[in-house]
Amino acid sequence: MKPSIETPAARSSDCRTEASAVFDGVSYLYPRTQEPALKDINLTILRGEFLGVIGPTGAGKTTLCLTLNGIVPQAFGGRFFGYVKVAGLDTLNHPISAMAQHVGMVFEDPDTQLTATSVENEIAFALENLRVPRDEMRRRISWALEIVRLEGKEHKHPFELSGGEKQRLAIAAALALRPEILVLDEPTSQLDPVGVQEVFAILRDLNRTLGITVVIAGHAAEEMAEHADRLALLVHGELVTTGTPEAVYGDVERLNKIGVRPPQVTETFYLLGNGTLPDLPVRLEDGLRLLETWPRTHACQGAPCEQPARPAPPVSSARQTTTPLLSAQALHHTYADGTQALKGISLEIHRGEYVLIAGQNGAGKSTLVKHFLNLLQPTLGTTSVNGIDTRRLRMSDLARIIGYVAQNPDHQIFTATVEDEVAFALRHLGRSTDQVSAAVTRSLEAVGLLDARDRHPLALPKGDRTRVIIAAVLAMDPEVLIFDEPTMGQDDQGAQAILDITRRLHQQGKTVVTITHHLHLMPAYAERMILMGKGVKLLDAPIRQALHDVDLLAATYLAPPQAVWLARALCEADEPGAAALVTPEDVAGCLAGQAPPMEVRH
Amino acid sequence: MTVLTLVALVWESPLLGTLLALIVLIACLVVGVHLSYVGKLLAVMLPFYLLMLITQGFFANDLIRSRTGQTTLTPLFSLPDSWWLVGGTTMSVEGLLYALNSMAKTLTMMLVIPLVVFTTDVNTMIVGLVKARVPYKIAFIFSSTLRFFPLLFGDVQAIIQAQRLRGLAFETMGPIRRLRVYARIAVPLILGAVVKSQQLEIVLQSKAFSGSPQRTYLHESRLAFADYAVLIFAGLFIVVAAVLYIAFDIGKFGGPL
Repeated sequence: MKPSIETPAARSSDCRTEASAVFDGVSYLYPRTQEPALKDINLTILRGEFLGVIGPTGAGKTTLCLTLNGIVPQAFGGRFFGYVKVAGLDTLNHPISAMAQHVGMVFEDPDTQLTATSVENEIAFALENLRVPRDEMRRRISWALEIVRLEGKEHKHPFELSGGEKQRLAIAAALALRPEILVLDEPTSQLDPVGVQEVFAILRDLNRTLGITVVIAGHAAEEMAEHADRLALLVHGELVTTGTPEAVYGDVERLNKIGVRPPQVTETFYLLGNGTLPDLPVRLEDGLRLLETWPRTHACQGAPCEQPARPAPPVSSARQTTTPLLSAQALHHTYADGTQALKGISLEIHRGEYVLIAGQNGAGKSTLVKHFLNLLQPTLGTTSVNGIDTRRLRMSDLARIIGYVAQNPDHQIFTATVEDEVAFALRHLGRSTDQVSAAVTRSLEAVGLLDARDRHPLALPKGDRTRVIIAAVLAMDPEVLIFDEPTMGQDDQGAQAILDITRRLHQQGKTVVTITHHLHLMPAYAERMILMGKGVKLLDAPIRQALHDVDLLAATYLAPPQAVWLARALCEADEPGAAALVTPEDVAGCLAGQAPPMEVRH
Repeated sequence: MTVLTLVALVWESPLLGTLLALIVLIACLVVGVHLSYVGKLLAVMLPFYLLMLITQGFFANDLIRSRTGQTTLTPLFSLPDSWWLVGGTTMSVEGLLYALNSMAKTLTMMLVIPLVVFTTDVNTMIVGLVKARVPYKIAFIFSSTLRFFPLLFGDVQAIIQAQRLRGLAFETMGPIRRLRVYARIAVPLILGAVVKSQQLEIVLQSKAFSGSPQRTYLHESRLAFADYAVLIFAGLFIVVAAVLYIAFDIGKFGGPL
């Protein structure tokens, strides 16, 4: 760090107040709404504090963030009560542009929040608006880039950066303002696990080393517990509680009621003590320490801890005789720009399987499944569906066998009612009215949206919009359903609701392929896991076994769920049957001496 | 850019027009515009150009006679009289040339756009525009359009892909039906753009953007020798072109060149 730049803490050493921001009786209603988005919030954010704002979707986290620089209510209007002071300035009396010097904002979407065409201009933009002289600008740009470790990329276009780098650039741009407080609204929910790690590492540095006040809203329970000094729990616009991560995440009963997931390590010990254990650990290291002292039962009935040599794909002999539904043989794909996205992938997916495909961004997951839809053609090798080479099938034919639910639901909605949306393809295929309406009812029932059939799809929450797309794909009655990151940007409840649908469809006999980074949720759903890294298949194994292959997961920048780390620790601590335990329930059951639920729970 | 477009509009000589289009094309390739991009552009325009060749070649005779003052045109070949409707029409050399001329014009204008976008850093352009007394707000709108165009383009591709994935067989659809399905792209595209612009407004406000020209700039706009050279050349080029056009009819359709 260059010492020439004074940090906010040093700048305000007179310390009129120890508070960076104060909320005093803040209530707020957006224009034309009756339900307050914030209700009587009283909160003091201390200088140098790392505050996590948690709560289910719609709790008011974003609104709270936007009050800090006056965008709420200045830009939105609506009714605002009470006051917010940041750096001693009342957000109602100071224009947003004046507040911008004191509040650095970072938003969720990496693409829309970068407005310039080069890295240095992105950082300079706000400084230019604030009329910072050129020399000072240069100094601050190199300072900020050094902190977020993007030195040497000054002249790159933001499009050339990875998701994690884009968010780090957004942080640098906010930081260059030398703000009193850095506010981040779900900065990691669009990122893969590597990006999440990068962003949190930077934030911890900023906070610990430079003493910058950080306010971050988000769903990442494990990271919040690891990094935050204090958590504020919002529900329906109300500040339910504030406290240390131990105090807030330790109250598992309350969180369950609200629908917020605690870190897995907390949940494990909550289950283990039947809810009676005091001082539940919230960080992995604390959990591991507690585990050491826990009495051994030697009753774990998971898999033996000695890892067998990596096995062949879990294909039963019965399956081997039938034609696989989806098959790739020595598949290579090289994009027009020379990127080798796939380097010799071979795999077979059979009828009735539920397969998870995981791996870092750029591992080739989407590229792989697009071959089955003939959206991409092999550079080398073959892909086939039902034994027929995909190159010989039209995309419209393939779409009747394979239902593909792509990432962003908003790119896939073309009509004005839910019902029309589901009927869209069928009508264009010339089906009779009766056939169409029967299919629409059946599909909407399957995703639980029958009541919403007359609503506008875009008026629904994001999770429900994804469900509309699932219903539209189901209307074609495909044999296979492929879900590409269906839980991206959703809280745990929303993610689970969608995964529950995938499980129901699987039970009804559909073959399901899900692509996701959210490993911690998947043991309850998937049977088999295919791990990809940089265009090659790293592993193809039953999910419980695959999640314990922590080295291979790390090779593609995935972190296993905390429960797996606990189980690995048990393995090392002379608990020979602890492998294959992958959920808090598994680990708690093992420690309590119960047989683990080894089947995929339905 | 302006100069080239202007000249392309005025010049009606097929020879000079084609030459100009070729020069711009070569310049495009030299500065690294992707060949595939140019190819795509040509592929899109090809049907129009063919149509132009045919209609102008066969049917624009009266127009050309009045433009050139010629009373007879040079026939290239005629269609047999027995053909229904088109029988007896003559493909004329002048007609073809006239079509060629229109093609060269449109091509020059379309190729100039990627040439400028690829060679000019948007930020330099803003700074330059502001220096040239264009209001900052307008310069900003211009640059952010360029910034967000690729995002929008990505959206269009994702949406078309989503439609195809619903099992719509575009291959077997009639053109009207296909058009109706394509028109649906507008729904998610416009709504997406609205959402994006709302997000952008919040982002810009929190970056202290007010559209006020009272701001500093990271980069200075300094005109280098090459810039002056280009400006002078452009100025001379247009003057010479104008003089030749007025005094010697060079560049007029049916003129000496």
